[in-house]
Amino acid sequence: MSTSPSLVVDHSALKVNQTGIIVTVLVAFVGSALWRPLLVLIPLLAIVLLLGTFVPRLALFKQLYFQVLKPRGLVKPRPVQDRPEPHNFAQGLGGVFLAVASIFLIPLPVVGLALALLVAVLAFVNLAFGYCLGCQIFFQLEKRGFVKA
Amino acid sequence: MSAQLWALAVVGAVVLAAAGLETLRSRRARRLAAGVTAAAAPDPYILYFTGDSCTVCKTHQEPALAKLGGVRVDRVDAIEERGLADRFHVYTLPTTVVMAADGRAVHVNYGYAPAPKLERQLADARVGQVNIATA
Repeated sequence: MSTSPSLVVDHSALKVNQTGIIVTVLVAFVGSALWRPLLVLIPLLAIVLLLGTFVPRLALFKQLYFQVLKPRGLVKPRPVQDRPEPHNFAQGLGGVFLAVASIFLIPLPVVGLALALLVAVLAFVNLAFGYCLGCQIFFQLEKRGFVKA
Repeated sequence: MSAQLWALAVVGAVVLAAAGLETLRSRRARRLAAGVTAAAAPDPYILYFTGDSCTVCKTHQEPALAKLGGVRVDRVDAIEERGLADRFHVYTLPTTVVMAADGRAVHVNYGYAPAPKLERQLADARVGQVNIATA
């Protein structure tokens, strides 16, 4: 029965990131019914998420929180003892799904839109209920020794 | 617009299927965990499976466990103590197991379990009821 030392993660940054994902996908999903070029938001979001996974200072929504929302007191910080790796993994997974969605958007728009919407649904579940599917997948991979802390 | 409607229907079906599979999986895990034993104790206690990658553990489960007052909570890192986690078929975090004083698992909760639910389950453990399949 043990505990390992944990880092502190600002959960407000994660919430802003999830909100950004949901809003962007919804604008692309609903807006593209009226103006098809809005679909470009989906590959752009994939790039933003993947870049943010590998280069955290390029994580657009998190930077919006750290550079604008937090300093101006618009969103209060919520530091929690946590590890950033599962959240980064979940974000990267979202980015991969959106990249796959982007490939399907022109030849098979239903598949592309469904994959993008699924990412938004999972981001909403995380935002509203704190359940992070990507983090659970990370746990399973960690349990099987595929990823190390 | 029809592409959006079809996509909405596909996502709805995927979410429903995932919810159904999760229900089946947790039922199966509870059935397999039935009868599993751990150390005996003077009073019922809780085995709390957690891990560093579990955010809900920190934001929801631990505050709920703190509300239980004087109840003994044995914290188990599911990665470091994989053997114990496998005995209780821990497939998700957090997992809480309410143990009777004689060391029998009385209730197993896969996922977040709020304090009132744990209190009810501890009351069951005190009177010796075994209700693992319907927890």
